[in-house]
Amino acid sequence: MTRFLTPAKIGLLALIELYTDAVVPSSSTIPILSFIINQLLPCAYKAQPREPKSLQTLPFILDLESFEALLTSHPAAGGLPGRSLWDHFLRKLWEIDSLDALHEFFATRGNLLARNREEIKKDGELGIPPPSDDMILLSRTSPLGSFIRRAKVEYERLRFSDTLSLWVAFVEWREESRTYWAKRNGGLERWAGDRVLAEGQEEWGLEATEMLEHITYGALSTENSNQGGISTDDVEKLLEFQVEQMQKLGNRIPHEVKEQFKAVLEKNIIIPSLSHYLNFLDAWRAGDYPTSFDNLHRYFDYTMQNRDRLFYQYALMNLAVLQADFGCFDEAVAAMLETVSTARENKDMACLNFALNWLYHFGKAHPKIMKGTDSTNILGVEREGLAFLRIKAKETGMWTLWSSSLLSEAKLGMSNGESVATAFENILKSSQLIVEKNMKSMMGPQMAMHSSLWGRLGVAHLSRQYCDIFLTCHARYALFDDTLRFTTRVAHLLAERGRYDEAMEKLEGLDENSLRTWKSNQYWLKYRGILRLKRDLHRNNLSGADHLLSQLTQCNSSDTDTDLAYETNTLHIDYLIRRTNYGQALAKIEQMASEMKEEGDDLNLRIKLLTMKALLQDKAGRPQKGFSIAVRAASIAWRARLIPALWGAMGAIANILTSLSEFQASSQILVAIIPRALEYENCTLNAQLYSFLVDAYMGLAGQAESGSPTRKENLTRCLQFIDQAFDEYSTVEDIKGQCEIMAKKATIMRVVGDNVLANDYASAYLDLKKGLSVGA
Amino acid sequence: MLSQRDAAEMRANLQEAVVKCSERCLYQSAKWAAELLTSLSTTEDSIEPEDSQMTEVPAAAVPPIVVTGNVDPEEAQLEAKEINQYLLAKSFFDCREFDRCAAVFLPDTVLSGILSTAATKNPNASAPQGKGKSRGSAARTSTALVATPKLSQKSLFLALYAKFMSGEKKKDEDSEMVMGPHDGGNAINKQLNVISRFLETWFLEHTNENGSVDGSQGWLEYLYGMVLAKDKNEAQAMHWLLKSVHLYQMNWSCWLEMASLIGRMEDLQQLGQRVPAHIFGFIFNIHTSLELYQSGPDLSARLDQLLSIFPTSPFILTCVALLAYHTKDFVTADAHFSNLLALHPHRLDSLDHYSNILYVMNLRPKLSFLAHLCSAVDKFRPESCVVIGNYYSLLSSHEKAVQYFRRALTLDRSCLSAWTLMGHEYVELKNTHAAIESYRRAVDVNRRDYRAWYGLGQTYEVLEMHAYALWYYKRAAGLRPWDGKMWMAVGSCLQKMGRDLEGIKALKRALQADSYYDAGVGSSFGSGGRERAAIMDPEILLQIAGMYERLEDEAEARSYMEMCVAQEEGAAENLDSSVINIHADSQSSEDDSRPQGGGDTGSGTGVTAATSKARMWLAKHAMRTGDYNRAMQLATELCQDGVEVEEAKALVREVRVRQEADGL
Repeated sequence: MTRFLTPAKIGLLALIELYTDAVVPSSSTIPILSFIINQLLPCAYKAQPREPKSLQTLPFILDLESFEALLTSHPAAGGLPGRSLWDHFLRKLWEIDSLDALHEFFATRGNLLARNREEIKKDGELGIPPPSDDMILLSRTSPLGSFIRRAKVEYERLRFSDTLSLWVAFVEWREESRTYWAKRNGGLERWAGDRVLAEGQEEWGLEATEMLEHITYGALSTENSNQGGISTDDVEKLLEFQVEQMQKLGNRIPHEVKEQFKAVLEKNIIIPSLSHYLNFLDAWRAGDYPTSFDNLHRYFDYTMQNRDRLFYQYALMNLAVLQADFGCFDEAVAAMLETVSTARENKDMACLNFALNWLYHFGKAHPKIMKGTDSTNILGVEREGLAFLRIKAKETGMWTLWSSSLLSEAKLGMSNGESVATAFENILKSSQLIVEKNMKSMMGPQMAMHSSLWGRLGVAHLSRQYCDIFLTCHARYALFDDTLRFTTRVAHLLAERGRYDEAMEKLEGLDENSLRTWKSNQYWLKYRGILRLKRDLHRNNLSGADHLLSQLTQCNSSDTDTDLAYETNTLHIDYLIRRTNYGQALAKIEQMASEMKEEGDDLNLRIKLLTMKALLQDKAGRPQKGFSIAVRAASIAWRARLIPALWGAMGAIANILTSLSEFQASSQILVAIIPRALEYENCTLNAQLYSFLVDAYMGLAGQAESGSPTRKENLTRCLQFIDQAFDEYSTVEDIKGQCEIMAKKATIMRVVGDNVLANDYASAYLDLKKGLSVGA
Repeated sequence: MLSQRDAAEMRANLQEAVVKCSERCLYQSAKWAAELLTSLSTTEDSIEPEDSQMTEVPAAAVPPIVVTGNVDPEEAQLEAKEINQYLLAKSFFDCREFDRCAAVFLPDTVLSGILSTAATKNPNASAPQGKGKSRGSAARTSTALVATPKLSQKSLFLALYAKFMSGEKKKDEDSEMVMGPHDGGNAINKQLNVISRFLETWFLEHTNENGSVDGSQGWLEYLYGMVLAKDKNEAQAMHWLLKSVHLYQMNWSCWLEMASLIGRMEDLQQLGQRVPAHIFGFIFNIHTSLELYQSGPDLSARLDQLLSIFPTSPFILTCVALLAYHTKDFVTADAHFSNLLALHPHRLDSLDHYSNILYVMNLRPKLSFLAHLCSAVDKFRPESCVVIGNYYSLLSSHEKAVQYFRRALTLDRSCLSAWTLMGHEYVELKNTHAAIESYRRAVDVNRRDYRAWYGLGQTYEVLEMHAYALWYYKRAAGLRPWDGKMWMAVGSCLQKMGRDLEGIKALKRALQADSYYDAGVGSSFGSGGRERAAIMDPEILLQIAGMYERLEDEAEARSYMEMCVAQEEGAAENLDSSVINIHADSQSSEDDSRPQGGGDTGSGTGVTAATSKARMWLAKHAMRTGDYNRAMQLATELCQDGVEVEEAKALVREVRVRQEADGL
């Protein structure tokens, strides 16, 4: 296998010659040139194809068919009529009829190039006239020209055996067109394509010639291997593309592609070191820690020879990221710190900034570990660190880093409950940057920030919209990880509205191949578990929930996503409450709260926790004890404009007021917040608020004299809202809530005096209860 | 612990295994088995009394098929006794572990013991000029004190040959890179001394009173001869080789060794009576003649005779082809080689000669095919590398060509053609020092390589060291006295040195050689001489004329100039002159390209640069002598030919002016 040249490249050279021969009619020039250019230019410079289909039309290794498909449709401008360019092209190929002719072919490639002054002078001395002006000559620096020159040089430096393998591969490659060419030429001799054999046949006889052919072209007739069909150059291109794809999309290599890769790499002797990197990426994605480690080291061992220590920091950085991904945080931090110092030493700003950014995010995610290392002063205080990063990124022109630091700042502001306006400002700045620099990869974080901001502001449909926009428009160019996050987010929103099946469908609909990535797969599995757990809890399938919970909490160690961990924990609390194990539930809440305090977690989560605690007190029959907590939650939520959390907290306050017989105040609060809360589309919250409202009106009715219109009015209101609450509970399939409501309804009916209806409701309650017990 | 019978059975099995593996060229497994075989405790040797061996051993211990028997009962018995060691040594040799192989029979301690005593007791052993008397006395003194180990000749040969091979290997290793700092061609096989001393002692011991060696079978003589030849002790070497050949005729390497010792035809003729009359001797004679670039109907008749006996022998077919090559009949040579290729497509031997032929014929596609074929069969054979090198040379990629020739030399330093061809490439690359070194090495390998001598001369000529060049040209001409090109080189060199008289002689010789040569091909011998029917090279004629002019021998000069012009018109005038020009230009091609093509008599050369020059000279001469009509005629002819038209026209004008002046 050669470094650069392949039979296909010889074909390209012949095609270029065809073009310069001026047999290409002007109407066909553009398709042919674009075909050539498409092969020559590195993929990075290629424009995105308008329709994605055209990408697949050309195989990785050009075979004759692709040439044929291109050329047959174009008639030739000169020569015999009825001959297409394909015929001309084949003539060129079949004229190379010996190894020497191949040499000649390469030697004459230089004639296609425009002469420089010295050459003209030399030609003049030798008496060669300068080429006429109407000839198509290629500039030496044009893509075609440089390709020709490269091909020439590469041919020059081939060893003889490599030349041979190129020649044999070429003969084999050309073989496909033999029948067509024979038909066109009124039959070909047995030995067409090798002049020496053809000439020798007369002398040697058929048998001896066949023997000689067998020795020289040996493999040709026996097995159909295309050794030499691919060059290192091709493989390198392919690997670069694959690595880029993997880094961009975060996928693993699909099975069939992997097989092909293996086949390609087995053949050549010089394995580009990049293939180790590819193996590393794949193993990493597959969650195969030892292999990925091994391959990373191997890759850098092989690249070290060529590039010295220059790339040491990148090796370290990769190592650190890898370590972190496999949960070896201490090693990861150590490696990253060394990266920072090496990058500083080498004045590699890009690497340095990236490393610092990573360290910042890592610190956010794992504050304990960062505390362990005495590296807090690397970036100073959080905010200063971010500002530093932002400025540095701006200086060095690292747009991605710049926009991500802006987003981080927005996120920091949000989780600290600071000004929403500032958060918006940061997001907008980053958005502008992304659009300006066309950073498709940054679209994910950007959209996520938007979505979560709107979610915090209690506008669920906007939040959902952003998710949908991302999934429909940007998912193609983004990391699969982002796609996964957005999908789970959508699923989450759907689940909140009780559309479990749809949510599950969304999750199931993800790309199967991408899910082969170990991390994504883990996340996906966990999230599916959470969804099912939620549904089980609502259906009161407590034993099933217990089973799921035990699994989920087991893998709830430090390396999982904080969001997922929080979700699992809340569901755990919910489970405990449903088991009426209030003591443990409280203990769990306390534990979570203390952890959060330590780590300085998101404000939103803390408020939710506080609200939960207040409601737990209510469940335990001592609602007043939760008052201060609820008020605190409400005030924090208000300050931070965490609207959904605010409504939850207010609901808790209203409930406490009801328990204090402040029915009027309670109902007023609830009536004020329910319309806004409905915007958030969280059915559980809505059901709860309605049920509180029913309680408040019930209280009001109780305060009024019996039989008075006020009482009746309040009772009818109660009935109205109790139906609402029941509907909400039904949508989320919360049987326990439904029971509770049904019981309340029966009670109201009895109070109203409609015993028949009361009876009906009571029996409905019993039915529900039965279902519940069956479920349990 | 094995019982004795089991042990014997095991031994027999192992012996069989060694032989079978080695027959199938599974050398490593054969070695393994042999090691095991010799490690079996040999108890019965000590138990059995000496005399019982006569009856028992050949029957029991030797597998009947293992080795060829020996007619000499004593040798056969020894061989039978040593069979296990022999098998071991043989497998070591197969695995190229030469020192180890030698040590099986001749451990270094034994060897050094013999050598030290031999050295001290025989002070004249290293100077072997005295054959008869001193030998006898030395034998008596040495045999009294040291006895060489009692070994069969076969084992001894194997051990010593292994020693020799190990020395050769070391020699190659010591030389390191081809033409590197350590590769001065002066590395020697350090074992030669050891072997020759040992053999000398051995022969002394075994020589009986009337001077013949008892029971010797010729192999050791061959080895001794070879060692002596490597030591440049050629007369002695020939003596021993002849002895060996007389004892055993079928050892071709011995014949080859003899052939390499023969430097000129006379030696061969002298040797003719001394070699045994045997078909190998006949082949040897032909082979050596070919090596000496002989040609002639006699040789080809003998070859035909051989060919009728061995019709498809590749060796003889090669000889036929080489014969054609030496007579410069490239078309026939090509046909022969091509035929050979079809018959034995996997055979790479002497394809380097074929590539030379194709090179000279400028058949690039065919040469490329040949290179392809060789490379496909085995790309690490010196022949393949030479073929590829030749191909690259033809493509004018001289660096690459050098690279491949070097590779050939790394594979085999005695690859003669590679050295010479590499020299040619270095000349092309203007690296004269390297070129001289390569040629020198070629000559050191084989003094009969006229191309290397010629190349040396050429290189020195480029360096304008004509005295040196002359010396080398003379060597080349001595090797090929019938080759005009050599004489021409000698002549031009002499001319440049200002020794015109000698130069003229040499050039005349060249003319003569050419015509002799043509006549030789035309198989009418001896019709050469001055009254040639063939055309002569106008270049040479012009040169001769030029020299006569310088000697101020106007008449001779003029006659040669006339002769030169006359070459234009042979019997048939239609030969393409451009062909000749090309040939004349490519003087540095690896083989000498002769101006005349087929050697057909009677066709002229047409107008060439040389004849035009001669014509111009004649015209001017005619001017000087006042023969204006002749001058006019010649000048107009020049104008017609379109050569040096301007000067010719000026001449015409001048003639007119003179004629007018005379007319007035």
